[in-house]
Amino acid sequence: MHPHDVGTLLNQDGVAVRTGHHCAQPVMQRFKVPATSRASFAFYNTMAEVDALVAGIRNVQKVFC
Amino acid sequence: MADPKSLYQEVILDHNRKPRNYGALEQASHKAEGHNPLCGDHLSVALNLEGERIASIAFQGESCAICKASASMMTASVKGKTRPEAETLIREFRDMATGQIDVDKQAHHLGRLTVFAGVRDLPTRVKCAILPWHTLHAAFHSLADTSTESENDPMHAPIGDA
Repeated sequence: MHPHDVGTLLNQDGVAVRTGHHCAQPVMQRFKVPATSRASFAFYNTMAEVDALVAGIRNVQKVFC
Repeated sequence: MADPKSLYQEVILDHNRKPRNYGALEQASHKAEGHNPLCGDHLSVALNLEGERIASIAFQGESCAICKASASMMTASVKGKTRPEAETLIREFRDMATGQIDVDKQAHHLGRLTVFAGVRDLPTRVKCAILPWHTLHAAFHSLADTSTESENDPMHAPIGDA
């Protein structure tokens, strides 16, 4: 599934990730992918937010299978 | 999906899973390639005009679900139609996706294509939905290839970067 579809679905669940080539096209070419989805964590994130990300990813899997 | 406002409605997911008119045409009177360099989507659209009528049309490429479903539903919608009818749909689809027409209040010919109306609220996804239509427009005008980021593209829409 395409990273932008993943990003839009997670966004609908209130989970923000970055999607695209992250201004790093050489790495995308190296791994032969058009783009990726990237979740980043910081000191202010909570365990509940990690759980929300996991639930969001499960939802993405459900929508596309 | 539980949310009826979601862009990912069953009809879009179905066209993504089983795209209609997917593949290449052995012979094509018109064809074009479309790219969105910001997300890596690219697709080709090929068609045969018999007089003014689109006798056959096919697309293929690598793209997100929104782009692929838009291309699939586009080919299903314009097959058998005349070039002016298809050009009307191209214009109306772009105006719907960029929020310039309200499909609930204004007259249009989009029919089932209104499932894409929700992209107007997702600025980063507008170009995904429009790319196949850009490419069809380019094919009609025999442009060799088109890009959502090309300023001189006649279909270039005044919307933000993805």
